Amino acid sequence: MDEKTIALEKIKKTVTENPVVLYMKGTPQFPQCGFSGRAAQVLKACGVEKFATVNVLEDQGAYEYLKFYADFPTFPQCYVNGELVGGSDIMLELYQQGELQKLIASAAAR
Amino acid sequence: MKVTPDNVREYIQQGLDCEHVEVEGDGRHFEAVIVSKEFDGKGKLQQQRLVFQILGGKMDVIHALSMKTFTPQQWAEQD
Repeated sequence: MDEKTIALEKIKKTVTENPVVLYMKGTPQFPQCGFSGRAAQVLKACGVEKFATVNVLEDQGAYEYLKFYADFPTFPQCYVNGELVGGSDIMLELYQQGELQKLIASAAAR
Repeated sequence: MKVTPDNVREYIQQGLDCEHVEVEGDGRHFEAVIVSKEFDGKGKLQQQRLVFQILGGKMDVIHALSMKTFTPQQWAEQD
């Protein structure tokens, strides 16, 4: 398998094995990009106790190839139940509408 | 290559039939408000994907793009 296939398989495994996954630059405690920090804060504000995070600055495969997984070129990216929800703009908008909380509650209940 | 907010606005307008585009930014991080009838019937994720597809390889120099996308109807309903 080539590097891209391996990276995409790993992403698939991560997003299907964890109900909520945030791919971001840095960590929720120490975000390395304003948009990533905002995305982590939105998830916390949804009352998610634990969500899986991948620091793309330390995961070369995710950094290079995540954009191909769901045809979306920027970080952060939030996945719920294996599906891309969006980046920080969409997360914030869904949160303000109360929709992100519902989506995450449904994921946690599974 | 340095990209200005005007460049980003032009890139978007070249690929998308827009009623309204505003772009602000510092050359690395950009924020755009985009209104297009091509967004009709699409969810926010699909709308953003469409804009990213139009920007294509230019996303390598546009480090980060924050977007608010609206259909003309949604835009008209804004306060």
